[in-house]
Amino acid sequence: MIGGEAGFGIMTTGVVFAKIATRLGYHIFDYVEYPSLIRGGHNAYEVHVADFEIRHLKPTIDVLVCLNKETFDKHSDRLNKESIVVYDENDFKIEGDYKKVSVSFKKIVTDLKGQAVMKNTVALGASLATLGAEIDELLKVIEEQFARKGEAVVNINKQFAQAGYDSAQKKFPSPNKLLTKMTTVEPKLVLTGNEAFSLGAVIADCRLYSAYPMTPSSTVLTVLAAWQKKSKMVVRHAEDEISVINTALGASFAGVRSAVGTSGGGFALMVESVSLAGVTEMPVVIFIAQRPGPATGMPTWTEQGDLLFTVHSGHGEFPKIVFSPGTVEEMIELTGKAFNMADVYQLPVIILSDMYLSEGHKSLAKKFIDDFIANYKINRGKLVTSLKPSGKTQIYLRYKDAEDGVSERIIPGVPGYYFQANSYEHVEDGHTTEAVQPRVIQVNKRARKWKTYLQNDFRLPEYYGDSNATDVFVSWGSNKGAIMEAQKQLTEKGMKTGFWHFTHIYPMDKEKVKGLFKENIRYILVENNSWGQFGKLLLAETGVEIKEKILRYDGRPISAEYILENIKL
Amino acid sequence: MTNINDFSGYNPTWCPGCGDWGIGLSIKQAFVQLGYDPSSVAVVFGIGCSGNMNDFINAYAMHSLHGRALPNAIGIKLANHNLPVVAIVGDGDCYGEGGNHLLHACRGNHDITVIVHDNSVYGLTTGQVAPTAAKGFKSKSTPSGIIEVPINPMALALINGATFVAQSFAGDMATMVSLIKAGIAHKGFSLINILQPCVTFNKINTFQYYLQRVYKLPQDYKKDDLKEALGKSLEVGQEKFPLGVLYQVERPSFTDQIDQLKDQTLVSRERFADFQNLYQDFI
Repeated sequence: MIGGEAGFGIMTTGVVFAKIATRLGYHIFDYVEYPSLIRGGHNAYEVHVADFEIRHLKPTIDVLVCLNKETFDKHSDRLNKESIVVYDENDFKIEGDYKKVSVSFKKIVTDLKGQAVMKNTVALGASLATLGAEIDELLKVIEEQFARKGEAVVNINKQFAQAGYDSAQKKFPSPNKLLTKMTTVEPKLVLTGNEAFSLGAVIADCRLYSAYPMTPSSTVLTVLAAWQKKSKMVVRHAEDEISVINTALGASFAGVRSAVGTSGGGFALMVESVSLAGVTEMPVVIFIAQRPGPATGMPTWTEQGDLLFTVHSGHGEFPKIVFSPGTVEEMIELTGKAFNMADVYQLPVIILSDMYLSEGHKSLAKKFIDDFIANYKINRGKLVTSLKPSGKTQIYLRYKDAEDGVSERIIPGVPGYYFQANSYEHVEDGHTTEAVQPRVIQVNKRARKWKTYLQNDFRLPEYYGDSNATDVFVSWGSNKGAIMEAQKQLTEKGMKTGFWHFTHIYPMDKEKVKGLFKENIRYILVENNSWGQFGKLLLAETGVEIKEKILRYDGRPISAEYILENIKL
Repeated sequence: MTNINDFSGYNPTWCPGCGDWGIGLSIKQAFVQLGYDPSSVAVVFGIGCSGNMNDFINAYAMHSLHGRALPNAIGIKLANHNLPVVAIVGDGDCYGEGGNHLLHACRGNHDITVIVHDNSVYGLTTGQVAPTAAKGFKSKSTPSGIIEVPINPMALALINGATFVAQSFAGDMATMVSLIKAGIAHKGFSLINILQPCVTFNKINTFQYYLQRVYKLPQDYKKDDLKEALGKSLEVGQEKFPLGVLYQVERPSFTDQIDQLKDQTLVSRERFADFQNLYQDFI
């Protein structure tokens, strides 16, 4: 873990460390803690590194790099006597039985005539030295990062890295060789949940992304905006979230795959238009990265408090689909699926993430994405791309009644036809109606989409762990990694457990889901909110009630340790 | 070649004598004269008596939510910038509920034409005051007279970067047709504010009221002078209503300035497939 004052490059440093570990052949999972301000607060970035696949953080800190005293004070409770603490003894002293490595950050920076932010590069060098790693990968990253700024800048940065490395090596001459290059290095990528959504959206041929910045969703906007020249996507930072979703709906009406991204508060502003998408049967993908509410809440922390709001968003009755991935891999898969489902069923599809999944990085095999791309097929459902013009321009039956609930669809500009997408209830050609029969026909038609979806595309939760377990966790979304780690630790304690992980949150197949829950099994609901919202949804949708709950709502993610502390053994 | 009947949908349900009849006819006439047919133009309607035109005009259309027609229109234009896009909205719709969208659509110079029915009241909800009503206007929601001063839509558009700002009167079809055509032909954001008597709920701003107070901008009026245009837009304070194009300048439209739309529309281009090129950010 590295910590320091906000505004001094802690975040970038953390990502670089994660990438170096991955290049050396390791798997990583990381998490960042930061306050909702730009300068002056405390930032902490922790990277969990292992030689096997990981999806969780660990309780002990093996290396703590303190760029200020606060880092030590805040995190020393997670240190043990094997932990290495890198700090600057000219700056502050620390007490306790740890492997202390003092690196003169300030002096190095002053001697080499650098800016305060260069401390990070020194720290990266020092960290690698304490872990017994070579410095080569760091020097390579510096070359790549600063190549555009010229050789002089590259060399200066290399000097800082080398000075940190040498200084730490001198102070800590025989480190445990924890981070030596592995013999086989499988190519991997290091992605956050937000980046995984962005990449998934591009793969799925999303052509318009519209958003208004809101933590923790904003990096989707900035990543997609940065890619525009390459990806040819149009990215609009609109004046407010209402404009955001209506821009996307206009583009969707005109035929392009469109998406929006926000957090709970921004989504609250969009909700009237979710209903518009419902009645006009327009595909749109809505990405929500949850943070603790209500209102402005705790902007840079994590929670799963918007599940019921999301599921029930929009006035009136209309179908929508809600997915919630548990890892970056699932984020890519479900993003691809979300765009297909939006087109196939002509409705809003919501991807529910949270700060923990959205902003934490995970390494994943490059092959995973290559395979996903190779196998991903764009399915635009009943979009009619060519239609023979009739003699005279005529109205198109855009909302024609259909057995599966889905009508054929054309896009504006097809010669010889026209129709309207009407926010009022309408007849089959889109004209407004207040009559009894057409109203009932359209309500029923829209509702049948859910039935078709449940038959063809709904997926039951995945089961992890012991198939004969009598203690079974039930959860959804980003809690997956922590629960799987808790299962591992509980097995070591002699308790075999199972785990149902839901990603296809809404709608649910009542009978099939109900069938998964057996008598005489102890089910434990795990959620990152205070109401047990998924439990309420499960009860309402299937009649299954889970009485035992492990809930966390302090803004911090569910962790294996939290589960172990709170489970009744 | 189309004729006006090709654009005629259901029979309108507007009150007899409503200014909307003339506006609706003028829009259809303008479409005919521009050589459009119902499949070659996109129209977005707001909510209100004006928005109810959705059922009376044939075109590829969205009947949007109250206040949200402009972002829908912008979205359509981003997806297919070759398609003419017209938003037909009301004063409560565009200057009240959706006011924020108007400011930013002007700034972006989005190539859409916004036709506002300005009748100073909410007709469809039976006569509450609209943001363009004069101070002191009495209505069901302001029985003692409205406290706020009216919004000045044309001044608002001008100072926020609109490149075409015009005003017309629902009693003057010839001017309406020519302004709507000019607005659609204009490359960039065009606002056409149409003074529209509501014969049922507004007993003050009647046809007679406007006939006595409107005047046509002179032939030699200089359209490209922002200060002059602002001066004209402020005459509403003296209950004088200039008709014609107050302001028109050339500035690249929003989609003109997006590299990825240079050669093709967003909807017609090939699928992007060079994903490996994006990986480098993650290694």
